[in-house]
Amino acid sequence: MIYGKVLSKPSKVFFNFLVQMTLIMLLVIPAAALDGNEILLQVDRNLQPESYEMYRKLINIEPAGSKKEYVLYTVKKGQDKMVALFLSPASEKGRATLRLGDNMWLYIPSVGKPLRITSLQSVVGGVFNNSDILRIDYSAEYNAAMIEETADKFILDCKAKTATVAYDRLTMVVDKETMVPLTIECYAASGMLIKTLYYKELKDFGDGLRRPSVLETDSPLYKGYKSVMLYAKINKKDLADEVFTLNYLPRVDELR
Amino acid sequence: MRINGGRIVRGALFFCASLILFFLPFNTMAAGEYSFDVEEFESKSFEWGGYAEIKFEHIDLNTDSAFYRLNFHQDPRSTIDRYTGALQLEYSYKKGIGAFNGVLRAEAGQDDIGWSDSADVYEANLSLKPTPFVTADIGKKVFKWGKGYAWNPVGFIDRPKDPNNPEEALEGYFGAGVDLIKSFSGSLQTVALTTVVLPVWQGVNEDFGEVNNINLAAKLYMLYRDTDIDFVIFSGGSRSTRYGVDFSTNLASNFEIHGEFAYLTDLKQNYLSETGALTKRECSAKRYLLGLRYLTESDLTTIIEFYHNGAGFSESELERFYQLVADADTQLLNTGIDTLFQTAKNISNMGYGSPQVGRNYLYFKINQKDPFDILYFTPGLIAILNLDDQSYSVSPEMLYTGFTNWELRLRFTFLNGDNFTEFEEKLNENKLEFRVRYYF
Repeated sequence: MIYGKVLSKPSKVFFNFLVQMTLIMLLVIPAAALDGNEILLQVDRNLQPESYEMYRKLINIEPAGSKKEYVLYTVKKGQDKMVALFLSPASEKGRATLRLGDNMWLYIPSVGKPLRITSLQSVVGGVFNNSDILRIDYSAEYNAAMIEETADKFILDCKAKTATVAYDRLTMVVDKETMVPLTIECYAASGMLIKTLYYKELKDFGDGLRRPSVLETDSPLYKGYKSVMLYAKINKKDLADEVFTLNYLPRVDELR
Repeated sequence: MRINGGRIVRGALFFCASLILFFLPFNTMAAGEYSFDVEEFESKSFEWGGYAEIKFEHIDLNTDSAFYRLNFHQDPRSTIDRYTGALQLEYSYKKGIGAFNGVLRAEAGQDDIGWSDSADVYEANLSLKPTPFVTADIGKKVFKWGKGYAWNPVGFIDRPKDPNNPEEALEGYFGAGVDLIKSFSGSLQTVALTTVVLPVWQGVNEDFGEVNNINLAAKLYMLYRDTDIDFVIFSGGSRSTRYGVDFSTNLASNFEIHGEFAYLTDLKQNYLSETGALTKRECSAKRYLLGLRYLTESDLTTIIEFYHNGAGFSESELERFYQLVADADTQLLNTGIDTLFQTAKNISNMGYGSPQVGRNYLYFKINQKDPFDILYFTPGLIAILNLDDQSYSVSPEMLYTGFTNWELRLRFTFLNGDNFTEFEEKLNENKLEFRVRYYF
């Protein structure tokens, strides 16, 4: 080794110690060195690829136990472009929602033209609102700060970047090992808890994507009600920017 | 396009609609573990769906109104009960870059006056999409341009909507068009150009305007700084040349505003002059609309729109028409002659009998989603006010969609105003409507 020729023995010992300590630091402490925003970026990438297609089932469960189900085909590109097309039930089939950053539209085939909608509305009723259904990257909407770290979890305080974001603040609990969220509490600007999201059942979707396959939510505003989102077939897909335009909404089904 | 089918076919469709509605159970699902068989939803080359509905209407006629006298002076009655069944089928066939789409609708009804039925092709068009940037369409297609909810001043090639049911499907027109889309990064996010060629020949789009003309319409859409903007133009011999612009944007996550402005050149119109004579005029006119949509934290949605129709009849022009009908009624009572009624009917068909023929209107719609924790229940109210004569119609309604694929709607509409005002002179005094729709 080169240093063997130029350093004295005590110096070599000290240098070896330094190298070993540096390696240990690099291997053991990388996660701890991350700040809130870096963790949020990792969470985004672990939840979904940058550009992909997927199928989801949304289930609204009423206190009496009866359910209503919706199936959506979704494509996403970049941090903030997303389209969701309703495949089922028949009464909703063909409806499509588009999100470009803070802008959201709903296309209803019989209406024939897209209408602007808001993130707080819900096109399916139940506890999930439009911002949950058209969930873009968390890092696109929030700045995160770490408020607590335990042996196996990070707890992040996420503050909305603008007033147009559906929830003013999130408290996100992230699993250290998988770097995906476990729970997210969503708060209004007034501090009121709007809902809690629970990510469950880790699943390997292939192509290196291992993430929760079930998202449950409940809300103190909808006592006794529960909504569930099931994920399937999350695949990377190259998509043109023009797919995410109002004119394309009537043709989203042709992407499948 | 009216299908040349017999009454038997239409009757059979009506019968099918009734069968579907009455023999399919309300399929609420029982609670249990959730599952997701995604293969069930794989894309298929041929897909179809639609809905069947039945509707019951009870109408109390306004026996003192102008349109009652026009329609019932030979057959007086005070109420009408009507039962209607309808079947709407939608289908699409996809192969490669092409897709063929269609919408068929059949309707049949029985009321105190008689039986009526119809079967129409609402849409039937071939769409080619060689790249995401370009789409070409040919065939019968519905165009719905503009941002307004109840009215669309820039909807130059649209059929007019019913403001009481603006989300219902409408029949399209035959045409050919090309759609070009381009996305950008920066303040200007999207640009799209839609061009349509719309011919009007004998038997093709005849109800659009003057026959033997090829018409052109174009719409340039932009998404600029989170605002939708359209520039629209129509030119052709079937209708006069017209220009328009519209916009829509969100001021907050729960507050949207929109507007439309249209300038119509060389409009030809028949109206009743101060002397009471039917007179022709040619003029240019402006139509515009301003609207908002607001959602509260408690899921109360409000839509308000102001609509100005510069091509509409003034308050005094409408009054003259109602006076003409009153004179016709007096003539019939005193002499037994109905010639004035024939004149009034002809004038009614020239525009006075169309819905919302005045100049200034206010539209108000409010609905509350899931009140009292009742999911899928949406009570609401629609009001249309003629700002010139202060007459109005008000429609409270209740909508329930809690059973998968079923929609139940109960609506009551009442109209009011002074004598010789638009809504007071309509046929109906009030209407109760119950509609059940099943989607498949």
